[in-house]
Amino acid sequence: MRKFILFLVLLFVGWSGTYLQAQTTPAHALTNVTLHHHDGSLTESATIVWRNGVLEAIGTSVNIPFDAFEIDGGDSLHVYPGFIDGLATWGSPDLPQSQDLPRLDEPGNPPYDRAGIQPERTPSAIMKEDKAFETGMKAGFMTAALYPEGYMLPGQAEAFYLASDKSEIELMQETMALVGSFEEAPGGWTNGAYPSTMMGVMAQFRQLMFDAAALQQHMQYYSQNPEMPAPKRDKVLEALFTLVNQEKPFFFHVDQKEHIERLLKLQDEFGFDVVIVSGKEAYAKANELKKRNIPVLAGIDFTEMPEWYKKQKDAEDSEEETSEEEEISEEEQAYRDKQLDAWKAEVTNIKKLMDAGVAVGYASAGMDLKEWPDKLEILLDEGNLTEDGIVQLLTINTAKILGIDKTHGSLVKGKNASFTVFNKAMTEDKAKVRHAISNGIIHQFEGN
Amino acid sequence: MLFQTELFINLREIKMKKLLTLIILGVIGFSVQAQEKGSVLIQNATVITITDGDLEDTDVLIRDGIIEKIGKDLRAPRRVETIDAAGKYVMPGIIDAHSHLNGVDINEGRNPVTAEVTMEESVDPNEVGIYHALAGGATTIHLMHGSANVIGGQGETLKLRYGATQEGMKFKGAPRTIKFALGENPTRVHGQGNGVQPRTRMGVEQVIRNHFNEALDYKRKREAYFAAQSLYDRRGEGTPPVPVAKNLRYEVLNDIIEGEILVHCHSYRADEILMLMRVFNDYGVENYTFQHANEAFKVAPELAKNGAHTSVFSDWWAYKFEVYYSTAYNASILNANGVINSINSDNDQLLRTLNHEASKVVRYGNTSVNDALKMITLHPAIQLGIDDRVGSIEEGKDGDVVIWSGHPFDIFSKAEMTFVDGKKYFDMENDPDDMRIHIDPGTEFEDGANFRQIVDNRDEDTCLQDTFILFDQQSAHNHN
Repeated sequence: MRKFILFLVLLFVGWSGTYLQAQTTPAHALTNVTLHHHDGSLTESATIVWRNGVLEAIGTSVNIPFDAFEIDGGDSLHVYPGFIDGLATWGSPDLPQSQDLPRLDEPGNPPYDRAGIQPERTPSAIMKEDKAFETGMKAGFMTAALYPEGYMLPGQAEAFYLASDKSEIELMQETMALVGSFEEAPGGWTNGAYPSTMMGVMAQFRQLMFDAAALQQHMQYYSQNPEMPAPKRDKVLEALFTLVNQEKPFFFHVDQKEHIERLLKLQDEFGFDVVIVSGKEAYAKANELKKRNIPVLAGIDFTEMPEWYKKQKDAEDSEEETSEEEEISEEEQAYRDKQLDAWKAEVTNIKKLMDAGVAVGYASAGMDLKEWPDKLEILLDEGNLTEDGIVQLLTINTAKILGIDKTHGSLVKGKNASFTVFNKAMTEDKAKVRHAISNGIIHQFEGN
Repeated sequence: MLFQTELFINLREIKMKKLLTLIILGVIGFSVQAQEKGSVLIQNATVITITDGDLEDTDVLIRDGIIEKIGKDLRAPRRVETIDAAGKYVMPGIIDAHSHLNGVDINEGRNPVTAEVTMEESVDPNEVGIYHALAGGATTIHLMHGSANVIGGQGETLKLRYGATQEGMKFKGAPRTIKFALGENPTRVHGQGNGVQPRTRMGVEQVIRNHFNEALDYKRKREAYFAAQSLYDRRGEGTPPVPVAKNLRYEVLNDIIEGEILVHCHSYRADEILMLMRVFNDYGVENYTFQHANEAFKVAPELAKNGAHTSVFSDWWAYKFEVYYSTAYNASILNANGVINSINSDNDQLLRTLNHEASKVVRYGNTSVNDALKMITLHPAIQLGIDDRVGSIEEGKDGDVVIWSGHPFDIFSKAEMTFVDGKKYFDMENDPDDMRIHIDPGTEFEDGANFRQIVDNRDEDTCLQDTFILFDQQSAHNHN
């Protein structure tokens, strides 16, 4: 009985929705596909119906609306929730070359931008054409948080519905976070500026927070006391108010264990929420991150596999009799063991963080997408992750960290129509994206 | 040793093979635990106490990191390792008051005053040179900012607990320190390199005075702001004050003036040494050490009168114009005049043989052996404000000791074991080839095997690390 009522309710909701929507935009239906869910479960012979960018129905017993444009998957296509890049630099304007930067009269007191202090910048305001958008979609990314490339405070992170063409990319959410790193001011030794070292960056960051706090206080006083001297408005410092007030998280690009410790020190001082981006050695601080509830948007820009290890693996794969054992000294063998340990530690970072109970998502964090297939393969072969684990990482996990899991990260009715249609399971050989559906809009990549 | 053993450890991973784990943990006593304290009984040694003469055939018992007892026929508590050091010497761990051993960066060289930066945030705990220094009998270093700036960054006093984190390496409770620099380095980097003050020695003095004045001014304004703010907030009347932001640089400068930070000043010439003492007297700064101070012997009585300390090289000078005038008798003259003097390395290689450097003071100036030993133990400890903890072998002090095969001033003597907080960090008998904690997985063997190359030429002033290019830039600039 209960089921029946539920069915009626769903039918009604579905019908009424259809009715209302029918007057505006027709629906799309993709039939006969295999669904790969965020949690690793599969639904075969499934149908997806979406309209106006929203998943209207999904599953095996779905009524296809009368106005739906129907695409038959022919039982061979595999659908995944749209992958989410937790923090990418796609569309970011190029950074100026060191030699093009003018020499400063006072390198110790540079303008904010020359010091790499640009928290007011937003990707939506300065985005440029970038092939990465199309490459990203072909890899299965339908959604991304973007930020402008830069230095210690490069700008803000905003979430976007992706499209192959820049003009079709739509802003989904502004100012999700401020982005930071320990990157010193540009210009190198010839045209550089303060801060030119990591310790300088840390000191400068603190000073900015103090300056922002004072300006905010001044603005508050002034709003109630117009007779007092007016505050000198400053868009850079004002952009930091969200961090001063602990309103938005700080997405911090950091890899080294010691750098993570330095970041935690700043967190202790200022109390903001932190999300670690890239985090190559985050596994070494896993317990601390778990304790502090700090998520990691992990990168997969792994160091190249050691040459000798690659050869060894290739030889094993070829299944031929190993003709000759390479002779190396004890010392070199000891070095190799150590080198492999270090490399394995890097590629199993994500798995170790997951096992430790740290929330882990994914961020390309500046990695060239050309690297994506190779790095993904390493993650699968050497990173102790299964396909399910990887899908989870790229979808619901990242959505949760970005705070967009109500609309993204899984194939559920009512969520955003953001999914990718592969010709076979994504980790199989020669798997290719055929259709990419971002915010309900179909992008076709036939013949690729 | 090169091919003798395949022992290696990877502390980061703690994935050592079981056997290796046992060997390493058992013999070397290594662990990933930061600040782990150890216990050991060293027997039958000649103990160089520094403060109480040399005690022959004597035992030293260290328990939980602290020297508990010095005496004869001491009994080891249960499970405490006993080491027979008959015929050997035990001395306090060597302290280097001037090192750049494991700094991530050394010079924040883009402003003449950078008091706000600190080497505390520039510590690389993975530097294999830490192990090399332990092998030379060193246990504590003063990790300093470079000498590019008139007022450089704050320093960090570290115990050489190799394998600990950056936090774990800190010498807990050591006073804060800061680097000043006079003369050619700051004038070349800033005045001639960047066209900002100071360009001359006169300018250097003014940079210090101006910044101290600005800092005092800031303090007045900030205090006035707090007072006005508290009145406004409490009574809700009148006009609120314009906020004065906290200023990290001025806060640190005020801490110097208030005596909370020990100044270590890079200096060479007698005139600039006198200049700084005048400035410090004007502002009431009391605890300071002149680093290098090659002409300090000329003003030794003045230094003694002001209670100033010096930390010098034993016999190195003439590496640039302002250091042409010096003498190998510098340390002895300072010592004879009652100036607390130490011998420092300022160099990762020299740090491993500071005993030789100190012994030269005996050879040149006929200073007593114990006084010369003080220059690498108790005196640097005094200059870093840690002499209540280290610098001599006394009951109650930290168990930072070294067992030498013979007298440390004998050229043939070797440091055989080095203990920090009673924990053995170096043992010549069990000295694996590759003691690196961290290696870059992207580096192949051919490139990665050079780590043993630790003998640097001493051809440059390491204080100016990373800033030489500014000089080239300066000449290019001048020609334009």
